[in-house]
Amino acid sequence: MTGLAIITDPATFATVLRVMTPLLIAALGILISDRAGVFNLGMEGMMLTGALAGVLVSAWTGSAWLGLSAAIVAGGLIGALMAFAVNGLGANLIIAGIAVNLAASSGTTLGLFFATGDKGMSGALRSGVMPSLDLPFVRDIPGIGPLVSGHNVLTYGALLAVPLISLMMARTAFGLRIRAVGVDPKAAATVGISVKLIQLQALVLSGMLGGMAGAYLSMGYVSWFAQDMTAGRGFIAIAIEVMGMGTAWGTLAATIVIAIAETLAITMQTFGLPNELMQMIPYVVPIVILTIWTARGRARPAGR
Amino acid sequence: MTDGRDDGERAAGPAPAVAFDRISKTYANGTVALRDVSFSVPARTIHAICGENGAGKSTLMKILFGLEEPTGGRIWLDGRPVSTATRDFAGRHGIGMVHQHFSLIPTLSVTENIILGHEPGKGGLIDRAAARARVEMLSRRYGLAVDPDAVTGRLPVAAQQKVEILKALSRDTRILILDEPTAVLSPPEINELFSRLRDLSQHGITILFISHKLNEVRSLAETVTVLRAGQLAGAARLADVPDNMIMQMVMGRPVEITRRQPRQVTGEPLLAMSDASLASRDPADRLQSIDLVIHPGEIVGVAGVDGSGQRGLVSLVTGTARPVSGSIRFDGEDMAGASTARWRARGMAHLPSDRFTQGGVPALTLTDNAIAGTDGDKRFQRGPFLRRGAISRAVAAMVEDYSVRALSIGERLDSLSGGNVQKLIAARELATEPRFLIADQPTRGIDVAAAAFIHKRIVDAAERGAAVLLVTADLDELLRLSDRVVVMFAGRITAVLANEAQLTPERLGPFMLGLEGMP
Repeated sequence: MTGLAIITDPATFATVLRVMTPLLIAALGILISDRAGVFNLGMEGMMLTGALAGVLVSAWTGSAWLGLSAAIVAGGLIGALMAFAVNGLGANLIIAGIAVNLAASSGTTLGLFFATGDKGMSGALRSGVMPSLDLPFVRDIPGIGPLVSGHNVLTYGALLAVPLISLMMARTAFGLRIRAVGVDPKAAATVGISVKLIQLQALVLSGMLGGMAGAYLSMGYVSWFAQDMTAGRGFIAIAIEVMGMGTAWGTLAATIVIAIAETLAITMQTFGLPNELMQMIPYVVPIVILTIWTARGRARPAGR
Repeated sequence: MTDGRDDGERAAGPAPAVAFDRISKTYANGTVALRDVSFSVPARTIHAICGENGAGKSTLMKILFGLEEPTGGRIWLDGRPVSTATRDFAGRHGIGMVHQHFSLIPTLSVTENIILGHEPGKGGLIDRAAARARVEMLSRRYGLAVDPDAVTGRLPVAAQQKVEILKALSRDTRILILDEPTAVLSPPEINELFSRLRDLSQHGITILFISHKLNEVRSLAETVTVLRAGQLAGAARLADVPDNMIMQMVMGRPVEITRRQPRQVTGEPLLAMSDASLASRDPADRLQSIDLVIHPGEIVGVAGVDGSGQRGLVSLVTGTARPVSGSIRFDGEDMAGASTARWRARGMAHLPSDRFTQGGVPALTLTDNAIAGTDGDKRFQRGPFLRRGAISRAVAAMVEDYSVRALSIGERLDSLSGGNVQKLIAARELATEPRFLIADQPTRGIDVAAAAFIHKRIVDAAERGAAVLLVTADLDELLRLSDRVVVMFAGRITAVLANEAQLTPERLGPFMLGLEGMP
């Protein structure tokens, strides 16, 4: 297959979307927490917990949608726990995030073991998968139809979340308060805003998105839970959010870049290039982009 | 508030807008901030509250604003007792506050800052048209012109203050508290602010004005309350009392304020800067073609609104920046781009503007701070080891000489008041008997007694023959100490003036704003 054929292949497009979905949802979650001044470093752990909760609950109830709901609730609860640790008990935000990641890594392994007797995979469970969505009318458009129709419902959810979160941040009182609290909590408090409440809400929302991203991994990307299956996606999402400059649309753009890089890594393996070299791409790209951006920021004279 | 609400109590004249009734505040660590403070403020008047730093002014206003709870006494509004410990107390009672350090969010628009916390909503979204209309209405009603869509952090300081005032007025405000509002403004801007505040009082708003500048208090307020060490030290109608009486109330003892007799110094300058320019990422630090000479024994005062290039100027003569062009000569030697160590070796001493980040290390002891920079000094060191005994004796002498009030020299620096920290840093810097002293905002935020002490030491240094560069935002201080005054605006020198009796803050104003003296 030639390079051009790969790019125009609908399968490549589908791979980009598949890779993109969990990263975009997670990065949007980090965005909300970041703007509220409580950067969610525990995203990886929230995703992992969501992934397990989705598999277990969908297996027990036989409903993928209930599994998704459980994943969202689990992520939100961890967000609330993090907010309580930071604002209620005075824990350091970074340490709380690391604690969530470490606890989730072992906790999900333990949970998997209790549920299946296996520490590695949930293959024995009959867990649900989120359905794909055939878009009526759109799928019949020649050329474009097969490209944009038929993807996982969470993929559409992730794309829809971009304008919704952008609107929330820019146009709602909640978004305005998040932006105010994130820049100067003391000033926000003097006008009667409860900083702790806003940060709690932001972290819960962030956690819910994290749970959703995790559910996509175990109930869409694949159909099982595996130990540490998030494989650093929560951290890549952090890099994406930073590249997105704190805006939802910027985050979407950054996610597309990273997803293309990762897809490239996946497809290039068929050319016989070393696997390890290709797997570096998703990590090298953010470093290069962030370096360029930082350098540009320095060169620009500071505005007053 | 309005007529008819409490007619029964109006028999003995209208109830005051605010009455403080035996307010006390003792902090958990035992510090008494306020003790039995009682006074009242008639509605629709401008009332000044004076006092030194730490006298309790800000604590009292925080109590009125509901940010802190009193440990004793209560507050009455319009003749009714109120509990300040309720959520959104200030907002519900129409009390607005303009904080000394602005409480604006720099990244938000002017409108967003003003509506923050009480956003008008429509179907879940902010009603932006209504918000904008509200800001425009407030802006028109009170004569405070601002662009509702501007990004707040990009506005000049005076405009940001207008936003801050509009924000404080945005919730049907009847009582407006202003905490040292003039510190960031130039004289014309201060006049403008005061006439706006008089308009507000005409609109029926009661104004509480906190200041330690007597001339401002006098030009704006009708009545004054003085606090000293947390207690009421006096209250008066300003028309009835002379300045020195108020000063005496503030200080607790008679004081005299004198302007130093400026000296004409001639001969070879010690510092000669010519056509020096500085590039910087921050425009506030950039300099363009600076010509400046300072003779031995001469105090040159630098006036200017904050961010006019003063920081850049200081960095050139303290060894933290290299000019892109021009020359800097010190005692005939080329010192352009010289290191701090080289400047210090030539006899430079520096009282930095930020005493806790540049002047001293908050977490270290008085002793450690007092000997900072003396490494290698044989008096304090034997081989690699410090001579603790000799150091303790030297530091104890410094503390004694500069009357630094501290429990012991082993205390952490940040356990001292600002005035005492500044005295210790002055003691350290002047102990070297400098030939060139840079005093950058030497008395900002410290009490009058400590300020007078520092002033005397700066003048002493000049009389011993040191060249002094005094950078200050306090024009009274500038005119009291300087032999010559240099005014800066936007990185340029807009005026060099002899400090004669007719030189007043008003005369400096146009140069500080760049209205005069720009090329």
